Amino acid sequence: MGKTADLLPGTLDMLILKAVSLRPLHGYGVLLRIKQISGDALDIPQGSLYPALYRLETQGLIAAEWGQSENGRRAKYYTVTASGHRRLRQETDGWNRLTAAIGAALNTTPDEV
Amino acid sequence: MWSRLSTLWRALRGRPEFEDTLADEIRDHIDRYVADLIAAGASPAAARRQARIEFGNVDNVKADCRDARGLRVFDEAHQHLRYALRLLWKAPVFTATSVATLAVCFGACLTIFAVVDAILLRPLPFPNADQLVSIYNTYPRAGVPDDGCSITNYYERRGRLSAFSGLAAYRDGAVIVGQTGQTEREFITRVSPEFFDTLGTSPLLGRAFTDAEMTYETANSAIVSYEYWQEHFGGAASVLGRSIRIDGSPATIVGVLPRSFRFLSSRSRIYLPLASGADERTPDMRHSGNSTRMIARLAAGASVALAQAQIDAHNAVVERTDRQAKLIADAGFRSLVISLHGSHVAAVRPMLLLVQAGVLFLLVIGAVNVTNLLLIRATARLKEFAVRQALGAARRHIVAEVAAETALLTLIGGIAGVALGAAGIRLLVALGSSRLPLGAHLGFDVRVAVAAIAASLATGLAMALPIAWYSVRNYSSSALHAQARGTTASRSAQRLRHAFLITQIALSFVLLAGAGLLATSLMNLSRVAPGFQSAHVLTGQVSLPWARYAKIADRLVFIDRMMDSLHSQPGVVAAGVSTNIPLSGNSNRSASTVKGFVLPPGESIRANYAYAVAGDYFAALRVPIVSGRALTGDDARLGNHVSVVDEDFARRYWPAGNAIGQKLFLGSEEGPDTEAYTVVGVVGAVKQAALSEQDALGAVYYPYAERFDNALYVVTKTSQEPDAFARTLQRVVRGLDPELPVNNIRSMDTRIADSLITRRSPAVLAMLYALIALLLTAIGTYGVLGYAVVQRRREIALRMALGARPDQVRRQFVALAVRLIAGGSIVGIAGAWMTGRAMQALLFQVPPLPASIVVLTAAVLATVCLAACMLPSWRAARIAPSSALAEE
Repeated sequence: MGKTADLLPGTLDMLILKAVSLRPLHGYGVLLRIKQISGDALDIPQGSLYPALYRLETQGLIAAEWGQSENGRRAKYYTVTASGHRRLRQETDGWNRLTAAIGAALNTTPDEV
Repeated sequence: MWSRLSTLWRALRGRPEFEDTLADEIRDHIDRYVADLIAAGASPAAARRQARIEFGNVDNVKADCRDARGLRVFDEAHQHLRYALRLLWKAPVFTATSVATLAVCFGACLTIFAVVDAILLRPLPFPNADQLVSIYNTYPRAGVPDDGCSITNYYERRGRLSAFSGLAAYRDGAVIVGQTGQTEREFITRVSPEFFDTLGTSPLLGRAFTDAEMTYETANSAIVSYEYWQEHFGGAASVLGRSIRIDGSPATIVGVLPRSFRFLSSRSRIYLPLASGADERTPDMRHSGNSTRMIARLAAGASVALAQAQIDAHNAVVERTDRQAKLIADAGFRSLVISLHGSHVAAVRPMLLLVQAGVLFLLVIGAVNVTNLLLIRATARLKEFAVRQALGAARRHIVAEVAAETALLTLIGGIAGVALGAAGIRLLVALGSSRLPLGAHLGFDVRVAVAAIAASLATGLAMALPIAWYSVRNYSSSALHAQARGTTASRSAQRLRHAFLITQIALSFVLLAGAGLLATSLMNLSRVAPGFQSAHVLTGQVSLPWARYAKIADRLVFIDRMMDSLHSQPGVVAAGVSTNIPLSGNSNRSASTVKGFVLPPGESIRANYAYAVAGDYFAALRVPIVSGRALTGDDARLGNHVSVVDEDFARRYWPAGNAIGQKLFLGSEEGPDTEAYTVVGVVGAVKQAALSEQDALGAVYYPYAERFDNALYVVTKTSQEPDAFARTLQRVVRGLDPELPVNNIRSMDTRIADSLITRRSPAVLAMLYALIALLLTAIGTYGVLGYAVVQRRREIALRMALGARPDQVRRQFVALAVRLIAGGSIVGIAGAWMTGRAMQALLFQVPPLPASIVVLTAAVLATVCLAACMLPSWRAARIAPSSALAEE
């Protein structure tokens, strides 16, 4: 396990939406998927995962459905709704603009001023 | 927003399922993590421990999840309500008292509100009812405030005034309907052609009347109500063109009215054309009211003020050529335009508002009472609140808890109150809403229910505020301390309780005094000598149909035979006939002119009551003959031009006492001597229109003759119970003419009682309110003093231990009660005085606040309150000195 980074506030919802948008996942699967797609670089506090999932469901951004998991157990699977997709695109664009701007700002050299 | 609401709704509805899912999901998560950790090489025990640590506190996570769903507020409210319910359940006496108080107060308020709503607030059941007005002639200086309108007025005004889009005249009456042997008396209304159109309605079947039908020769059509159509024609469409016999003549049915149609409080089921002769439409008849009334609809955009201005201008033009212009102007003549709704309910409006005010007072007393009881409970829990706040409980929690308890009490009380109110309304409908104008519209409906809910919410809030404020505000270390030691009470709590009790006593004082004023007024009225003897007098109405009794000779023959027949019945002491009787509800006044009387400058002619009598009318009513003689059957039979006047009339025109032998004329002008009526007697004055009548208008009695109405009152004085004689009266009349029913049969005692109904009902209701208020005040006093004793237990015990005598302790509490009663009474006297002034117009010979009522009210209140404080103070006196050590 490499070096991990703390989550910025507000980014957990974004990451959950991304993870669930790839394919339907149960709660634990969401955790694993975020770890996987972030290259194990992000440390998700497990306790805050479920309130976030319930919040997103209440907001209608994700939907939940009961299904069979790979090991034959019943599990609650989350999928992204249409408005969830929209929100994910907005958030991704916003995030990209923010990181680009901050990156550009931080990489500025004295010559460029 | 909607999706949120729907998820919230789903979450609330599927609450147990939600909890299961949440638990399953978290368990699944931890199981999988444990499995992964074991797979990575951890021992099962270590894996389980690590999984739990990393996941965190499961209950907190669950709470956060519920929060995310927006369920927390509901959880808390649920908890508070359950807690409140438990607390209320544990204090059954308090709960029952509070709920009963609120239920009775709400119920009473609701019942009265339903009446006020149906009669005063709701628009009349016609389209654009606010455009409907009533127009009537008034001659205030002649003592005639409302003389309706004349046929001439109607024909002169219709279609000429732009402020009105419709103008109609109508006259109520009664006819005999049907074939010989099965006749019925029906109330009817004679209407002009535009009547229905003006009201915004049109016949369901057929047509309205036409101008061509407005003469005596052509007025042989009829329009019937939906109800009459169903009852007599089974709702058949073939009713149009059918004939009904009205007063012995056939009339063709030309229209049927819609089901919902009812004109104000009218009982008419048949409408006839308002026929008139050419002579009735002349300018000379402009001021002959004859019970005709006028309604009109304002044109779009026209105001009552504009309509009034046009009527005034029109009157000014037509009066210019009136022969009696000066006389009419001196009488203060004017035609007033006022809202139809307003004029219809004017008579009951002040009484209704008074009763509503009284019942609102009661509600406030009840609410103050419950608030005080709640405050006592809150004080008892102050220590608990203080401890909890010290331990970190949020203020809003405590406020929410108090609010939950109050809300629950109000809700239960409110529901019980609505049930009581609905029952009360049904009772009122059953008992006699028909006596109220528009009473038919009375009922429990959505409007009333909404008002009830709004009222209980407002009351609940008003009660919770002081308690919550008090519970939170008093948190301080000193309060905690003082309460913990259980010695001296928190001063502010005590002040608040006492203030509430004083308020309650003051409000009760006002209510009691108000009830006393109404009762005194009623008593004064029932002591008024009516000028006749009502005992054993039965009265009934007979209308002689024009068709068969057109000639005066026929009518006089009928009257004579009826008198003879009645006199031959056993038990009849005297019998007579009059065109009107005292307290009949009709009080038509007309003008009489005294020969040789010169009106003092600046004075108006005065209207007087005018009656036409036959038989022994004065003997039947025991109206005393002051001088001269009474009118006899012979006077009518022979058509003598004689008259009898009452003392009021004699005093005005012949103050020297020489009334006998003078001459007077019917109408407002002197005529030739051959038409003069010579005064042959003076009789005692009689209260004609109402017992409260102050304005001595005077009365003139004429022998029954051609020019008088064919509707007659038969008056019989019997030696037996008058009601038992009713059947005999019916039989005698039917025996003379099988088509003639006798209606409106009531004893004179009943007529007197009925004439007081608008005064008796509020008085009875006020007494009832006062009684409830007294009971509530007793409960309030008991509660406050009882709590004072509990609170000062230790202090009392200590004093007893130091040698205080029980009666000293008892006296201390009685003294407290006396102070509170005195305080409340002083405020109450001020309030009662203001109330008495406001009620002046509704009272009969009662000053704003008679000393007797103050003394009586204070005595009753003091007795009740002192009785209520006996038990607590007796308990205080029995506190054992040792309990000073034993408790806490």
